[in-house]
Amino acid sequence: MSASAAVSREPRGSAVNGRRALARRPLLFACLIAVLIAAIALSLSLGSVDIPLSDIVRALTGGEASRDAWTNIVLRFRLPKVLTAALAGAALSVGGLLMQTLFRNPLADPFVLGISSGASLGVALVILAIGAPGVALLAGFGLAGDLGIAAAASIGAGLVMLLVLLIASRIRDRVALLIVGLMLGYAVGALVSLLLFFSIPERIQAFINWGFGSFGGVTWGQMPIFAPIVIGGLLLCATLAKPLNALLLGESYAASLGVRLGRVRLAIIVGVGLMAGAVTAFCGPIGFLGIAAPHLARSLFGTSDHRITIPAALIVGALLAIAADLIAQAPGSRTVLPLNAVTALFGAPVVILAILRWRGLRASFE
Amino acid sequence: MKFRSLLAALIVSIALTPFALFSVSADNLTESCVESFDATVDYFPEKVEPRFSEGWRVSYHNNYKVVDVLTPFPGAADIDAFQYVLVQCGTPAPEGFDDALMIEVPSGALIALSTTYVPHLDDLGLLDNLIGMDSGLYVSNSEVVARFAAGDLLEVGSGPSVNVEAILDAEPALVLAFGSGSPDYDTHPTLIEAGVPVVVASDYVEGSPLGQAEWAKFIALFYNREALANEVFEAKAASYADLTALTAALSDAERPAVLWNGYLSYADAWFIPGSDSFAAQYVRDAGGMLVLGDAPETQDTAAGVPFAFETVYEAGLDADIWMPGTFGVTTLMDFVAQDERYADFAAVTNGQVYNFDARENANGGNDYFESGVANPQLVLADLIAILHPDLLPEHELVYFRNLPKE
Repeated sequence: MSASAAVSREPRGSAVNGRRALARRPLLFACLIAVLIAAIALSLSLGSVDIPLSDIVRALTGGEASRDAWTNIVLRFRLPKVLTAALAGAALSVGGLLMQTLFRNPLADPFVLGISSGASLGVALVILAIGAPGVALLAGFGLAGDLGIAAAASIGAGLVMLLVLLIASRIRDRVALLIVGLMLGYAVGALVSLLLFFSIPERIQAFINWGFGSFGGVTWGQMPIFAPIVIGGLLLCATLAKPLNALLLGESYAASLGVRLGRVRLAIIVGVGLMAGAVTAFCGPIGFLGIAAPHLARSLFGTSDHRITIPAALIVGALLAIAADLIAQAPGSRTVLPLNAVTALFGAPVVILAILRWRGLRASFE
Repeated sequence: MKFRSLLAALIVSIALTPFALFSVSADNLTESCVESFDATVDYFPEKVEPRFSEGWRVSYHNNYKVVDVLTPFPGAADIDAFQYVLVQCGTPAPEGFDDALMIEVPSGALIALSTTYVPHLDDLGLLDNLIGMDSGLYVSNSEVVARFAAGDLLEVGSGPSVNVEAILDAEPALVLAFGSGSPDYDTHPTLIEAGVPVVVASDYVEGSPLGQAEWAKFIALFYNREALANEVFEAKAASYADLTALTAALSDAERPAVLWNGYLSYADAWFIPGSDSFAAQYVRDAGGMLVLGDAPETQDTAAGVPFAFETVYEAGLDADIWMPGTFGVTTLMDFVAQDERYADFAAVTNGQVYNFDARENANGGNDYFESGVANPQLVLADLIAILHPDLLPEHELVYFRNLPKE
């Protein structure tokens, strides 16, 4: 495509909804934030255990609920979980948005460079292969239990990310990078299959359960590791809005605007890699959100401008994650559903509807 | 004087043993074939019959046995059943069983594709027949481990990618495999295709621990070892009944609350055993009550029920004993490191956390799922000793281990 054609597209993309849409944006943001706050409140008050609202408020305001267990459930189960869901949802959504822009591919997600496969391999090594001696080794470094799993996942994700960075700094073509990332994912996934093949059913089941994803595994003890990485990644991504907008118009055009492509690309990979790695390590491989939330954000605001879509994707991602977790908890019942099934099952129709109503999708990727 | 007469009696009885074998015609032929066939002779005077197992049955005829495997996988229909005709060697094969696999008994070289068959082979004196298994990594039986280490046993894998060539080359007289109902995991279709004599022995489908242990009798059928199987299994069943009697009269108030969550738990979803599961049966028989065991969700199912962690937290905080069914954990400290909220549970504070990994090998193979399957009376004794130490003061734990503080 020629640069001039691309330039003419950006105004057209914005013009779809006209000036009134522009004027509505602050209102829309306010509404989304209100809904997000409502969702957080709902998530804190609804759960498998029935706790009266007054007890929840008392627990949250530093008092004691009428039962000790209830105080604990609100403060040490629901609060870290809703925070984890919000952070993870925001991270995956923004990460997906950046990957979709970087690769100009509506199907890209934060894991497209094989980062979650790296995390899976780390977890598979802990759960399936090394077994007790491996965990004992991790425990020796003070990394036992779930943190051991998280540590292994982080190491796996980090190694794959380093490899991708190394390759990204050598090849300039983003399509080639995309294919390299996919291939890395396949290769690492094959190693996981091998481990699965030679493991015993109980451990395979444990690995499968990890794969269902969960926001409930991050305790306050782990939050000081999880939250800073995710927030740091989000901040890094937020600084990239302008070069990302230029990228939307094509790499050559962006370069002519003075965007240093190589550096921006590395920054995107580092930011998204950190977030995707941390989320996968602590919550398991959460699928779907990373593809769907950016589309939802773009269609809600009717624009591809990253100054709008990054904060929008952040809020929409957090909201979707909290909503998915609420549904997975199946309020009113004491059993739970696997998170990954819920995100896709309930999220897919929402996204399809949004896409059908917004015609700007093609403009963002052509 | 007494010693000398005892010795004399011993020598005489040893000397007479071979004659005893030939003179008593009421035994199954465990080592030999029939030399001259007589259609009127019952060649299987020793018989087995399942008392607890529901997954198989046998009907005896003079020179052959017809064995049906009714549930090759959970939820199998009638059409999924397998039939095997076990013919006494040296006698003619019966007519009219075109669809069934014919196997000469006593059978010979054996490849076992599940560790759960190993303790039965050991009990029945059949380990010498074992020439291979799916994998040597997860087996616990010391003799089998030693033979793997010496390179005397084949590793053939399992599932559709089982090493058919190695199996064909080894020419086993019998392969014991289990069915899953899924072509992704089943081994037997591949082996049947290759013409290997494979028997689907899905002991794990059984509904009760004794039912699964009784598959010793099923394996004995293939080696005419019915007499020994009856003796071994009935002793275990009697021991299990004696143990159950110890706790039968306990009132609800005397039954400690046991929080039991399987290997399957992760973060949000805590799997509590259903009321028909082995865990629930064991805890009932050991005189305990499962946390959430009376919840409507857990009734009439053998599967684990995924409760929200907060539900289990509320219900299980005060439980007397916790069986977390975890792995890779040596001490209570490791255990709490998995999730600091575990420290709130009374069982953790009181050091009453038990894991079934006392006999886990370096690769994660756990004897609880091997010899424990063949010895429900030992598992039950462990649990009674944990729940009611006063009832079995002498018992030393076999499969379970109290997690030490450090």
